[in-house]
Amino acid sequence: MSFPGSESLDPPDTFIYSGPMSTAGERINRFALSLKSPVQRTAFLADPAPLYAQHRLAEHEIGLIERRDWTGLLRAGGHLQAILKIAATVGESLWDIGAHSARLDVEEMKAICPRRVSGLPRGSR
Amino acid sequence: MARIVGGFGISHSPSMGVEYDRGMAGGFDARWQPWFDGLQPVKRWLADARPDHIVIVYNDHLNHFTFDAYPTFAIGVAHTFPQADEGWGPRPLPDLRGDPDFGWHMATQLVAQEFDVTVCQEMRLDHGIYSWVPYVADLPLQVPIFPIAVNMLRFPLPLPQRLKKLGEAIRSAVHSFGDARVVVVATGGMSHQIAGARFGMANEEWDRWFLARLDDDLDRLVAIPQEEIMRVGGADAVELTMWYAMRAALPAKVHRAYDYYTFPQITGCGVAVFDPVEEGT
Repeated sequence: MSFPGSESLDPPDTFIYSGPMSTAGERINRFALSLKSPVQRTAFLADPAPLYAQHRLAEHEIGLIERRDWTGLLRAGGHLQAILKIAATVGESLWDIGAHSARLDVEEMKAICPRRVSGLPRGSR
Repeated sequence: MARIVGGFGISHSPSMGVEYDRGMAGGFDARWQPWFDGLQPVKRWLADARPDHIVIVYNDHLNHFTFDAYPTFAIGVAHTFPQADEGWGPRPLPDLRGDPDFGWHMATQLVAQEFDVTVCQEMRLDHGIYSWVPYVADLPLQVPIFPIAVNMLRFPLPLPQRLKKLGEAIRSAVHSFGDARVVVVATGGMSHQIAGARFGMANEEWDRWFLARLDDDLDRLVAIPQEEIMRVGGADAVELTMWYAMRAALPAKVHRAYDYYTFPQITGCGVAVFDPVEEGT
């Protein structure tokens, strides 16, 4: 069993999170993780601009957030677990992020999960 | 001398926690009922084990730590371990307890064995622990826990071999504590991937193969490169390497008391419970 890309460890199939990605995504991740605080979530929903400024987000990073471009945020170095805090704040979930990366809508994604594959690590049989 | 009276590996996931709350309030979703039912024997086993302490090897998901300071290995030494707010607000659960005396003993003994852990006197725990605990124990949990957080989010990750050594160090550290019964748990999702277009992949063949080899084939599992686990089981299945610490904390010979496996939706949910077979018997 498999699906197209089901063995791929490369973006956008898989984002293996590295140190350099962590450096690239520093501002995005700090901003996203500030939303663990309910006070910050309320402030963001009322007016995100001061939070963007406080975290010195670049224009393109703000654009990714405003467009809910979850896959773009992952490509820019955002860690899924951080991006998830932005999704939670705006009323979205893991499903929205996954569906965005797979170019499906959320209901389509829910309908095909679990996406069954098979196979064992090389050399293990 | 303290004794490790058993251990288990178990999956965790955010939805596991949310579905518990929904299930207890209004009945379980058909996808999650099997997991709830499947864990009842684990709940009975844990009660019968009568632990005085539960060591839990888990990973934080940027809910306590941030990448400004993300430890490879960290331990919690505190009287309480409150629940982290993961963005949706905390679930209605009582705080888990800790025992600083046990914690400092473990800190001292782990460092003495060259595991230079970061010691946290405040540690908020996320679904890595809070998602499965209510399935296997009545709350509030009276037994203090000793959490060990492992970096499973950002390379470089600790190697599988290192996690096996962590388990051996836990075993030795527990043995030098006073008279106590200790259960060792490791928790990490089985096959799953949550970032990228492979979202939702499920490899039951791999998950069952893995579960079946924990008794006698730890070295074979440890030899599998992290990337191979990520390829066949999804990037986040690398969390399974934490299970090696649990298995290595138990003696070479174990008796499998119970196991169970199901795949509700996004994350392979498995559990494997082991009793030690005492050396020399």
